[in-house]
Amino acid sequence: MNHGLAIQLIATGIFYGTPMAIAALGELLAERSGVLNLGVEGMMLMGAVVAFWVSRDVSGPNGLVLIIAVLAGAAAAAAISLIHAFMTITLRANQVVSGLALTIFAGATGLSSYVGDLANLGGNPGRHIMNAINVFGLKNVPILGPIIFNQPALVYISWMIAFAIYWYVNKTRQGLHLRAVGENPEAADAMGVSVVRYRYAHVLMGGALAGVGGSFYTLVISSEWTDGITSGAGWIALALVILAFWRPAGVLAGAYLFGVVSALGANLSARGVQLPPEVFSALPYVLTIVVLAIVSSGWGRGRFGAPAALGVPYARDGG
Amino acid sequence: MPSEPDSRVALAAYAVTKRFPGVVANDNVDFEVLSGEVHALLGENGSGKTTLCKMLTGMYQPTAGRIEVDGKPVVLHSPADAHHNGIFMVHQHFSLVERLTVAENVMLGWSLDGSRIRFKRRKAEQEVARLAEQYEMPVDAGKMIGDLSIGERQRVEILKALCRGARVLILDEPTTVLTPQEADRLFASVRGLAKAGNSVIFISHKLHEVLAVSDRVSVLRRGVMTGTVELGDHAAAVDRKELARMMVGREIELGRRQRAARAQEAPAAGLEIKELVVHNDLGILAVDRINLNVAAGEVLGVAGVAGNGQREFAEAIAGVRPRSGGEVCVGGTPVRSGRPLAALAAGMAFVPEDRMGIGLASGIDVAENLVLKSFRTGAFSRGPLIRRGRVVENANALLSGYELRGGPASLVGQLSGGNAQKVLLAREMASQPKVLVIAAPTRGLDVGVTETVRKLIAEAADRGTAVVMISEDLDEVLDLADRVAVMSGGRITGIVDAEGADVEEIGLLMMGQEQAA
Amino acid sequence: MSAILPAFPIRLEKRTDRTPRWVQAATPVGAFLFAFVIVTVILLAGGHNPLQSYNAMLQASVTSTSAISQTLVSATPLLLTGLAAAVAFRMGIWNIGGEGQLYVGAICASGVALAIGAHGIGLALPAMILAAMVGGALWAAIPGLLRAYLNANEILTSLMLNYTAGLLLDWLINDSNSYWRDTSGASAYLVAHGKTIPGSADWPAIGGGNFSVPFGFLVGLVVAALLFVLVRHTWLGYQLRVTADNPGVGRYAGMASKRNFVIVMLLSGAIAAIAGASQVGDFTHILDPTGLQSPQYGYTGIVVAALGRYNPLAVVISALLLGAITNAGINVQSATFPQSLTGVIEGIILFCVLGSEIFSRYRVRVGAEKATVTA
Repeated sequence: MNHGLAIQLIATGIFYGTPMAIAALGELLAERSGVLNLGVEGMMLMGAVVAFWVSRDVSGPNGLVLIIAVLAGAAAAAAISLIHAFMTITLRANQVVSGLALTIFAGATGLSSYVGDLANLGGNPGRHIMNAINVFGLKNVPILGPIIFNQPALVYISWMIAFAIYWYVNKTRQGLHLRAVGENPEAADAMGVSVVRYRYAHVLMGGALAGVGGSFYTLVISSEWTDGITSGAGWIALALVILAFWRPAGVLAGAYLFGVVSALGANLSARGVQLPPEVFSALPYVLTIVVLAIVSSGWGRGRFGAPAALGVPYARDGG
Repeated sequence: MPSEPDSRVALAAYAVTKRFPGVVANDNVDFEVLSGEVHALLGENGSGKTTLCKMLTGMYQPTAGRIEVDGKPVVLHSPADAHHNGIFMVHQHFSLVERLTVAENVMLGWSLDGSRIRFKRRKAEQEVARLAEQYEMPVDAGKMIGDLSIGERQRVEILKALCRGARVLILDEPTTVLTPQEADRLFASVRGLAKAGNSVIFISHKLHEVLAVSDRVSVLRRGVMTGTVELGDHAAAVDRKELARMMVGREIELGRRQRAARAQEAPAAGLEIKELVVHNDLGILAVDRINLNVAAGEVLGVAGVAGNGQREFAEAIAGVRPRSGGEVCVGGTPVRSGRPLAALAAGMAFVPEDRMGIGLASGIDVAENLVLKSFRTGAFSRGPLIRRGRVVENANALLSGYELRGGPASLVGQLSGGNAQKVLLAREMASQPKVLVIAAPTRGLDVGVTETVRKLIAEAADRGTAVVMISEDLDEVLDLADRVAVMSGGRITGIVDAEGADVEEIGLLMMGQEQAA
Repeated sequence: MSAILPAFPIRLEKRTDRTPRWVQAATPVGAFLFAFVIVTVILLAGGHNPLQSYNAMLQASVTSTSAISQTLVSATPLLLTGLAAAVAFRMGIWNIGGEGQLYVGAICASGVALAIGAHGIGLALPAMILAAMVGGALWAAIPGLLRAYLNANEILTSLMLNYTAGLLLDWLINDSNSYWRDTSGASAYLVAHGKTIPGSADWPAIGGGNFSVPFGFLVGLVVAALLFVLVRHTWLGYQLRVTADNPGVGRYAGMASKRNFVIVMLLSGAIAAIAGASQVGDFTHILDPTGLQSPQYGYTGIVVAALGRYNPLAVVISALLLGAITNAGINVQSATFPQSLTGVIEGIILFCVLGSEIFSRYRVRVGAEKATVTA
């Protein structure tokens, strides 16, 4: 395999991995506050369809329309996530069931398609697309050029988001409170941190980011809408959060790994290489199971592992 | 050596009364804590010491009376108000996040320099380290709570309060979770805190601790302040019996159980406990080499303030909790450790103090609970299936004479405390056990059910069961038991005959003083 | 005390006495009514005539024998995955691996069918079901054992295994020359597909004329009945019920809670796998990765179970309901009931039912909190 192909693979990996990375970063926030949201796929689709709709029906310069479209997608997905937040935080419903209901409600045979039908979005080409930017004019620099300096704006935004989340979680008071809420909400409550507020806020942020990730499919990868266009990216985003052990840098790395591996897989089998692409794809999942097993029972439990209160509804009266 | 308090009153309660429906928890209590003083609050469970402190920290409001901080009356509506006034309480149950560091836990919900967003980790760690050193409570500010021992975690709780400007610290039975070495270190820290001008209210029921660390001791009994004793320099000379009398002294009420005339020959061996060692859920030693024999037909009462290992003791004998050492024999036959079924087979019955959490399954009905231990016998099965008719018959038979409201089909989770206890007893007595371990037999029950329960215990003994009755209610123990063993700090500090028992002596035993050989 | 929204004067207070009967009965009914109202509003907002849409849905799913048969086709996998989820979730075991267990069941069943299907349905049918159950149970054993003995979160591990099973499915048909793949014929490598199972291994549909019940649905009914008997009428079920709600009591009574945990997972996995076997035997007669993965029966099954409050008999009803809605979405080809309504209606019903459950555990209070009394 020559350099050119490898470079192209990495660049492609970053490109295709970005929507999952963004959605996963959002889910990371929600899960660190202790709320599991399995509805990522549904939220991404809502973001995708609404972003596309806005991009088709709003007139203006390309850049401005795209910004508004992405924001609209984020808002739509956040609104959807509000349902999950209300169900699980206020009404103390089971988080697994509520998240799955969200996926069904908003997903490929749900609200996102309904909106697509209503606005007659399917099958018609869009009017705006986000192309790759030539950053600092460096797109032809060897090796790093195509990988780093020639990606669409959302890729760079995703890096900024990842860094912002890292900084937020580890270096701010609010991030400290967030971690406490996700690990031991009783203790956080005792220290005056509002568990309810933090959880609502972070579930909504998770929704918004899922919407941004979804919009990548209808504004960047292609400029069209089909039902279920994200084809499982939301599920991969869920896996990414776990694979990355709830750390933003890990999410990016994992997402790009996925992107590279899927591109690689197609490439390898076309070249007659014996190792099936599914083995590569399955490896991260299997590895995660192994690591989860080790970490949950032994020494790693202290440092790694899921936020301790993940999936458990919080009630001050112990109910 | 106790510190030198000055005469300023840092915190005081005057004529404070707290009433709840049906009970007066504090009755016209006067209580003063001076600056730079360690003031111990001594009392049994139910004496009102916790209620008093909850009022001092704003969790309750007094029904009558007033609270003063630095001589000025204050109204404390919430813990936040108390914190404003520099009053902090360190509870037995910590509020710490295991996966965060010491500094992070201390800074949770609070800011060093008023910064609203940035969390300056290094500054926080330095400040925590400085405080730790100042008060001689060494703790590594960068370590995760999960890696700390219980004693260290307790120090973090204290540091949390100090960081936020605590001047009065209330420690609620702090040594319950500590090893003796950690307890000593705590005493040193407490003295250091007092020396620095803070006030410490030290809630305890252990005499040696109180004598080791405090300047004054106030004793509460049944909601009433029975007295305050200066310790000062002559701690060694203080009249311990006097303290004991203040804590438990009471007229022994009439109505002691009349025992059936016992046959002259030595009663059969019932329960033998040899060198029993048990650890609690946190891995701390809870029962420290207990030796005890209970004859068939005898009621051995185990008295003592709660939290001295009684729970672990009861669970270990009943086989629900594994033993770390020692032997338990029923009728001469040893029982395997940690196997509830083995204990059951040996003829052991157990009525735990945690009725709904251990003894009864709240989601199933009464009849199904009644077969919780006997369903394996095959009497209620047709193959793998439940013979519901037989189960209901069994329930009716067991409950006859118990007057249970609702009948065998009621969901146990919705039963009142009294009815739940009846179901438990009906089940455990049904098998004519050789040994009955019963903890907190009448806690939370009304008068009628209490009578029933006590009657059942007496009847069980008359039938030849060896009964171990663990209760915080000294009256009850003295009424029902033949002998009284006092448990303190995981050990039996002494055994006395119930008849003619010297209550003050028992009080001393409860406070940790070992019986003279 | 808890606020409905931060700093709002309505509170939820935990009930201390038993939930009144009328509340228990009224809440699901109320929930459905509420859902009905919301769905009607959404239909109106979308420019549909609600009456027409409801009519179309009824026509497609219940008003004729052929419609009912179609509904049963959609309901069959949901019934089985719903029961699988119900048995686990009732015990507090969050098995979301039904999806992957279904795939494994399909793989095992089709493998067995290809191997011995030619010998007739009498042999093939039980063999397919058995093989599927074994495969599904083993697949579920992984998260079960990991949770029981290593305390690894079963939600996360079973989720990971879903992806893995899906990839296994893809590999068997798309990227390998496995036993399952049809490598004969000109189109074999153009569009990868699996071998069709022998006709004699096709599962029979019961009934005549326009009315037919897929065999898998009957299996589901039997499983529902067996589960009901197991949970309520056997001592094993008794132990599961006790340890599910009260692990401390289970210990006290000498019940082996870890072993019971794994047993429930095995059971759940086996039942979900039958759904996979049914897909192959009843409907597709071929191992079809796309066809198995896109409808997400496993995840929908969890929703079905929740609607039925994890009670096996109620799950039958909710599976039929969701089957009817799904079927209408697929088969009504006109604009009065677009397929996208399926998810919308199902989601709204579920949210309303899920949300209503809180009223059985809490009561609504308006105003400031009264001081609670504890000594």
